[in-house]
Amino acid sequence: MSKVKFFLQQSWLLIITSFIFGLLLAAANAALRDKIEQNEQQKLNKKMAELITDANDFALALDEVVIQLSKSKTVKTDLYRAIDVGGNTIGFAYIAEGPGFADKIKVVIAVDAELTKFYGFKVLSSNETPGFGDRIKDEFYNSQYAGAPFGDFELVKTGDDKKIDSKIVAISGATVSSEAVVKIFNSYTNKIKEKLQAEGLITNGK
Amino acid sequence: MANKTDTVLLSDTFAAGLWSENPVFRLLLGMCPTLAVTAAVKPAITMGGCVIFVLLCSNIVVSLMRNLLKPHLRILIFTLTIATFVTIADLFLKAYIPDMSEALGPYVPLIIVNCIIICRAEACASKNGPAVSIVDAIGMGLGFTLAVCVLAIVRELLGTGKIFDIVILSDKVFVPWVVMVMPAGAFITLGLLLGLVNKITKKHKR
Repeated sequence: MSKVKFFLQQSWLLIITSFIFGLLLAAANAALRDKIEQNEQQKLNKKMAELITDANDFALALDEVVIQLSKSKTVKTDLYRAIDVGGNTIGFAYIAEGPGFADKIKVVIAVDAELTKFYGFKVLSSNETPGFGDRIKDEFYNSQYAGAPFGDFELVKTGDDKKIDSKIVAISGATVSSEAVVKIFNSYTNKIKEKLQAEGLITNGK
Repeated sequence: MANKTDTVLLSDTFAAGLWSENPVFRLLLGMCPTLAVTAAVKPAITMGGCVIFVLLCSNIVVSLMRNLLKPHLRILIFTLTIATFVTIADLFLKAYIPDMSEALGPYVPLIIVNCIIICRAEACASKNGPAVSIVDAIGMGLGFTLAVCVLAIVRELLGTGKIFDIVILSDKVFVPWVVMVMPAGAFITLGLLLGLVNKITKKHKR
C-alpha cells in the first residue's frame, strides 16, 4: 500500500497533465482532421491531374483495396478511375507506399485504361535526404516512368535515361531511394492488375 | 517603486531575448532549424511563428506548475508539455498552411527537441511567475524569428536573387550563388553573421 501511495505522491502531476494534454490533442485532432483530410485529397487530385492530363475528373473506383505485399504484410489502398470529358475511363491511379532510405515513401501511380503503359508517378510524401534521395521527384528520374510499359521494372546503375523501357537508371548517390521507388512499383503492379480484373474494371485480360 | 522595478525587469527580459541573449546569435541554441529552414524567408517566418507559439504556451504551463514540479520529473513534464503544443502547431499548419507544412517537413515535429524551448522552461519558466515567463517567451521567440529571418533574407537573396518570389536582383546584373540555398550556404551565412554580431557586441562593450 505504501508503494502505491509513494508512486501516486511522486507522479500525480504527471498523470494529470498527461490526461489533460491527451484531451487537448484529441480536441485539436477532432477540430482539424476534416480540413487536413480535405487538403490531402486536394493534393492527391492535383497530382493525379498532373499525371493524366486528359482526365476531366477522378472517381473512387475501389475503396481500401487490400494488397498482399508479402506473406506477412498487407496494405490498404484507394484506386481511382480517371474520366475524360466524354465520361470514358482513360486510366487508373492508385496510392502506393514502401520503405525508402530515411522513411516511408508514398507515391501516386497512374496507368492507362488498358494497362499497357504507366503515365508515371508523383511523390505524395517522403523524407529522403535533400539533394540526394529527394531527387526521385526530379525530371531526370521521374520521366523514366512516363510511358513505360506496364510490368515490372529493373534498376540499372548506368544506361540511357531518355529511353523509355522497363529499365530505370538510378540516381547517382541515391541508389537506395531509386531502388525503393522501383520496388514500390513492382510490389503493386501485378496485385493492382489482379484486383482490376477481379472487379471487372478491365476486360482485356492482360 | 516596486511596479517600476517590475517593469524594468520585464523590459530587460524582453530585450535580452532580442539581442544580449539572442538564442541563435548569442546562445547558439536551435541550430538545427536555423540551418535547415533558412533557404527561403517564408518557411523561416513560419518556423519562427511555430517556435513563438510553442515557447509561449509551454512557458505559461510550466510557470503555472512550477511549485508542484518534482525535481527528478521536471524534464519529463517539460517534454510532455512541449510535445503537446508542437503537435497542435503541426496539425494547424497541415490544416491551414499545407504548403508550409510540406516545405518544413520534419522540422516542425523536431521543435520538440529544440533546445531553446526546454532551456527557457528550465532557466526561466520553472523559476518565475507567468508574467516574466510570457515576456521571456515573446522576447526569445522574436529573437529566434529575427535571427532565422536575417539568415533567410541573405541566403534567398544571394541564392535566387528573389525575396518572397519577387525579383530583387535581376539576372542581367546578378548571377545567383546557388551555394547559398544549399547546406553549405547556411553554414557560411551563419558563420559570417555570428562574426558580425560578436564584433558589434565587442564594440559596444568598449
